[in-house]
Amino acid sequence: MVRNKLFISLLVIPSFVILAAVVFYPFVYNVVISFANMNLYKIHDWNLIGFKQYIKIFTEPSQPDFYSVLFKTVIWTFTNVFFHVVIGVSLALMLNQNLKGRSLFRTLLILPWAIPQYIVALTFRGMFNYEYGAINLMITKYLNVPAVEWLKDPVNAFVACIITNVWLGFPFMMVIALGALQSIPQELYEAADMDGAKWYHKLRTITLPLIRPVMIPAITLGVIWTFNNLNIVWLVSNMGEPSDTTHILVSYVYKSAFNYYSFSYAAAISMVIFVILLTFSLMFMKSSRATEPAY
Amino acid sequence: MPKIAYAAVFVSLTLTALKGVGCVGARTGDINRVVIWHQMRPDERSILQRQIKAYMALNPGVEIVELYKETEDVRNAFVTAALTRRGPDLVYGPSDAVGIYVATKTIQPLESHFPGEFFSQFDSSGILSYQGHVYQIADKIGNHLALVYNKKYVQRPPQTDVELIEVSKRIQRQYGYVGGRPKVYGLTWNYTEPFFFIPFFTGCGGWVFQEDGVTPSLDDSAMIAALKYVRSLRDEHKIVPNESDYEIADALFKDGKAAMIINGDWSWAGYKELGIDIGVTPIPKIVSTSLWPAPMTSPKGFSLNANVGPEKLPRVLSILTFLLSEENQLETTKELKTAPTLKTLYKNPAVRSNEILQNSLVQIGYGRPMPVVPEMRAVWDAMRPGYQAVMGGASTPEESAKSMQQLALRRIKEMNE
Repeated sequence: MVRNKLFISLLVIPSFVILAAVVFYPFVYNVVISFANMNLYKIHDWNLIGFKQYIKIFTEPSQPDFYSVLFKTVIWTFTNVFFHVVIGVSLALMLNQNLKGRSLFRTLLILPWAIPQYIVALTFRGMFNYEYGAINLMITKYLNVPAVEWLKDPVNAFVACIITNVWLGFPFMMVIALGALQSIPQELYEAADMDGAKWYHKLRTITLPLIRPVMIPAITLGVIWTFNNLNIVWLVSNMGEPSDTTHILVSYVYKSAFNYYSFSYAAAISMVIFVILLTFSLMFMKSSRATEPAY
Repeated sequence: MPKIAYAAVFVSLTLTALKGVGCVGARTGDINRVVIWHQMRPDERSILQRQIKAYMALNPGVEIVELYKETEDVRNAFVTAALTRRGPDLVYGPSDAVGIYVATKTIQPLESHFPGEFFSQFDSSGILSYQGHVYQIADKIGNHLALVYNKKYVQRPPQTDVELIEVSKRIQRQYGYVGGRPKVYGLTWNYTEPFFFIPFFTGCGGWVFQEDGVTPSLDDSAMIAALKYVRSLRDEHKIVPNESDYEIADALFKDGKAAMIINGDWSWAGYKELGIDIGVTPIPKIVSTSLWPAPMTSPKGFSLNANVGPEKLPRVLSILTFLLSEENQLETTKELKTAPTLKTLYKNPAVRSNEILQNSLVQIGYGRPMPVVPEMRAVWDAMRPGYQAVMGGASTPEESAKSMQQLALRRIKEMNE
């Protein structure tokens, strides 16, 4: 018995050490410096100053404005996850049919997921160029509409970031949804057919409820990943351009820490992000009854 | 084998793997392994790699690892790494990062590591002193912008901004338009970055700091005039593309879709390599102010990590001396057309007869040294949004000048809190 316990402990120790080094220690350190005044000049001799950084976040004006960045982050997250799920589930429903060349389509549709994010981001940035970008060339030639100043206008630049991330993110939801669809017993659809159910009845009463236990954790993960997705905003908008108007919270944190060297301020915003995501995850999991069985 | 032995093997393997992960960074304890982080572009990097190979051939058993990082990344990553007593032994880059390194105590003074005569062989602008200590020794002076022109389109480079506009318009007319835009733009440059705005700002009589060298001076008539001037080149004279960041400007010039580009000395060798017949000339004088635009100039060189201890120091200094040697600087100068820092090289026929380099030196003469104080960081960050807002039509030059100044002051206040 003692040998068994020792054996188990020895197996657990490495994981515990790694977790402590890469999760617990940075987290605790982040919490501590969020209550301090660490910046460029006080990087070695910082002091604890209580809640001042948090008060500063919520009460003092900043450039860009914190509430505006928070609002944009919510828009960014909601829009992205909405399109990821809608496009992903729609494509999964199509691929779940007996289509000709299904495996080819599946491979093609997973491609965006297989390309490194930074390559996609920089390619899309080039495609959004006003004069030479593929997107403007296409819309002016085939849709006969004027070219859009994608990267010069704050709203358009933000939309450009969202389009890029939607393209990148739907394959994940598609793969998850496809897996869930394939696990639904065919007999349920056969029984529904016998009852004369239309496709939308089957979708509403069989498909969606049965993929829910798989999709809810995927959506929760999608929200967390999208909320914290630095790469796309940073690279497509070239560090928040134009005029720092395309930042989401996480790019704002990065800029505060590594461009402005306001380490404690950035740490405090990180804690705000943590609390937002933790609250959302708990509430979403509870309200969506994700842990309850489907059958 | 009993369970306990399996577990012991598992733990040992994990610890070994962890140790391996830790070894990926620079090991300041290994005296024969020296790591250099730099921001050299491919042309520069290949020369560095050659020189490193030559040193290792002369010194068997020594391993030199060079790692490229983008300019901003090298600064941020170095500070972060050096604060945890790691990072490279030598860090290479433009001098404006030195203020940050000194403020964070991540580099060490160099004057006590070399005899006085070592420093006297360098041009004074190649030795960067800050707060009474030498913190950087450069192998290149300049890192500056100049007007680069494609001789296929421009036979006689413009000397004034009026000529620049005339020449650009003539070229655009000559090559015609497609879809409402010129087939060949007269001029292009990265007009999203304030570094590229400085020549116009100085050409209108402005400078980023007041006399004290730390108080921003962005809300003045020179700034407003410069913002209006740059905007007019695009909107009124229509001689620059509607959108132009670094990559777009560079690609347009390389593809022959722009006759002239304002770009730095780091880019010229690349244009030559592509077979473009380029000339380099100072950015044309602004007639309305009678001032030559003054790009910021800065040495680019090596600084020593504060964590390099006495055991490893001789090896690191030996490598530094080798990389700064006359032979290596001449090789770099010949290939990249960059200005060297060793005084003797200015008498070398290869340097004296090089047209691009000589014109580059004229531009350096008009330039102003880039401030190394950390406040410069705040100025860049404050200028960027306002400048982009004017170019994006979201703000007037007057409003932007005001917001730049306010933001710079706020950033500096935050830095000092």
